Amino acid sequence: MRNLFVRECGNYKTSYKEDMKLFGTKSEFIKWLILIVILLTLPFYASNYWVGMLTLCAISAIGAIGLNILTGFTGQISIGVGAFLGVGGYTTAILTTTYGLSFWISLPLAGIVTAVVGGLFGIPSLRLKGLYLAIATLAAQVIITFIISRWDSVTGGTAGMVLSRPTIGNFTFMSNSSYYYLSIIILILTVLYSVNLLRTRVGRAFLAVRDRDIAAQIMGINLFYYKVLAFIISSFFVGIAGALLAHYTMIVSPELYNIQVSIQYLAMVLIGGLGSILGSILGAIFITLLPVGLTSVVDLLTAYMPNLYQLFSAFKEFVFGLAIILFLIFEPGGLDHIWQNIKHYFKVWPFSY
Amino acid sequence: MKHKSLLGILLGVFLLLLAACGGEDSASTSTSSDSSSSSSDSSGKRTVVVGGLYDITGGTGDVGTPYAEGEKAYFEYLEMKGGVEGLNLKLVGKDYAYQIPEAQKLYQELRDKEKAVAILGWGTGDTEALRQQVAADQLPFISASYSENLKNLDESPYNFLTAASYSDQGRAILKWIVENHEGDNPPTLALLYNDTAFGRSPIEDIKAYAKEVGVEVVDEQVIDVQATEAQSQLLNMEKKNPDYAIIQQTWGATATILRDAKTLGIDTQFIGLNWAAGEGIIDIVGADVAEGYIGILSHAFPYEDMPGMAEMKEYLDAKGKTIDDINQKFVQGWVAAKIMVEAIKIAAEKYPEGDLTGPQIREGLEAIQNLDLGGLAANVSFAPDNHAGTEKTRLGIVKNGKWEPITDYFSYRD
Repeated sequence: MRNLFVRECGNYKTSYKEDMKLFGTKSEFIKWLILIVILLTLPFYASNYWVGMLTLCAISAIGAIGLNILTGFTGQISIGVGAFLGVGGYTTAILTTTYGLSFWISLPLAGIVTAVVGGLFGIPSLRLKGLYLAIATLAAQVIITFIISRWDSVTGGTAGMVLSRPTIGNFTFMSNSSYYYLSIIILILTVLYSVNLLRTRVGRAFLAVRDRDIAAQIMGINLFYYKVLAFIISSFFVGIAGALLAHYTMIVSPELYNIQVSIQYLAMVLIGGLGSILGSILGAIFITLLPVGLTSVVDLLTAYMPNLYQLFSAFKEFVFGLAIILFLIFEPGGLDHIWQNIKHYFKVWPFSY
Repeated sequence: MKHKSLLGILLGVFLLLLAACGGEDSASTSTSSDSSSSSSDSSGKRTVVVGGLYDITGGTGDVGTPYAEGEKAYFEYLEMKGGVEGLNLKLVGKDYAYQIPEAQKLYQELRDKEKAVAILGWGTGDTEALRQQVAADQLPFISASYSENLKNLDESPYNFLTAASYSDQGRAILKWIVENHEGDNPPTLALLYNDTAFGRSPIEDIKAYAKEVGVEVVDEQVIDVQATEAQSQLLNMEKKNPDYAIIQQTWGATATILRDAKTLGIDTQFIGLNWAAGEGIIDIVGADVAEGYIGILSHAFPYEDMPGMAEMKEYLDAKGKTIDDINQKFVQGWVAAKIMVEAIKIAAEKYPEGDLTGPQIREGLEAIQNLDLGGLAANVSFAPDNHAGTEKTRLGIVKNGKWEPITDYFSYRD
């Protein structure tokens, strides 16, 4: 067997089949396998609290990958992610609570309904680009949350709706670790799908649309079709994330899906790295855990200066903003780029020139 | 080269953050394992951790800060007095800045890391968002939200309301309006609220009860909870010329409404629900603008001569403070903490062995009957089929720059 630590170098492929392989070398496959095993055994050695946090990270990562397909791959900005999460959450809430459907049916349905709604709001994307499209999707955010909070008879208005955790037979996904498994498996499926998506005709069309849409059109790519398709695929995953989140917190209410959530998801994609699946996951973890980390720092400081709790709490917001600005200035490629740099450094070490 | 060093700095910051999380985790797991593995500390006391969710820096921080201080102060007072027999009571609270996702994360932290067995919460949105989780984890939850939704025992079996619900407060105002309205025409009413779960909570109930008692609701205006300007909404309202307007906001937006109403010369009688009443209003808009403003006084003011104030004065003296340093929202937080501690005491007496659990404290709360709060608030009673502590509340008016009660504690059913 080949040495695991010997890295792939150069590009020697003699067939298309070889070129299309998901895992270039055996060592790469084994590395991913180890990572997945670590993820799946995590609840055995991590505390309940961290399992809960990682569940939230996994759910955000699914949403962030969805958004990245739209923004990172197809180059279309969306500020409506929060509302699309809401569509997913409310769809599963209405289907399971009002109509008594099983979670396992309502989950894909939530994705499909969100995909349809996302596709509808994607229609203007043919004419609108950049900032214009951003404002159009902002309209989606406003319209959807308005409908959710006003359509009392269906959505329960501002009081929201109560959901229950999914069940299989007599088993309920009540514990943190069981829900963690559910989310992480869906995350792995999402990653597999989106990594493969990029290797298909559709994925390459997305990249072409992002890089120069007019040139893409001249090459024969149907712009309208692929732009709306990007909205549909992206919204599907956002809807799935919304449904998972709704069943995790067991409640949906319009306040959970405000513009701030949309901005947080955009920040995840930007900080993680546009157009990168790994980046979406890293960004989701970073944005989800940064407030937690900052709170811990505030707690540490307050232990020495108890009278300044209020000041430190306010300072937390400031640091959060500052971290994001610094990221965008110094590493626009995001966490993914940092990771690539580290890998590259070790790959060529000690001859870095 | 330059690029690399920047990268290094960024990476360093990120690692530091991670280390901070990790370090904190290991530190607190050691403390939490202390409390969970051994049911008693060195002095043989059982540890009971109560979790707190505060809004200090968020949208409702104006009233959230004194409320949180009141809660903390009551626990400090208990400690000063030697604590509760056989119990080592601890309040661990965090600021969640009125963000529901943040509240959910902090709640997990309180539950899993701090091993809290009961929670003192804050806002309507987050309390409602957490009620299912709280029920699943069996943690009794006393919130500063008096939303009528929380009365529903099927959906919120672990939530307790320590004052009249917003809807009951609104009904009490309507009852007062009907009894005190002068003139031949039936009274007309406008509703001013914000577009949050908190703001909309009592609106439908107020409209329904208004119909019942013959008050005509002529207008509704949505004003943001952090609004600094409300003239357009008030001009719209003025077209309908209502006799009364009920405000469901916190101090900031209420002050905006009163100031702009004065500017526009609107003569409607404004009446605020409990978070729209309190010293903060007078401090912000000044005594002359606030003069004649009516509000729900769910809790006593520090300067009111009530028997319940004795403990608070003792605490303030020990801290070198006076009643001028605190306000009504501080009293409100103090009372919420006091009710929770009362339940813990009852539970501890009933279950002298082992760690106290959430369901036991819930039993303690449900055993509270007509708890005398020394005039700081209406007496509260709970029962297994009733988690609304009281329906009674008071009304007060601003006179010469000071709030004066105009009614005693009453219920709209009286």
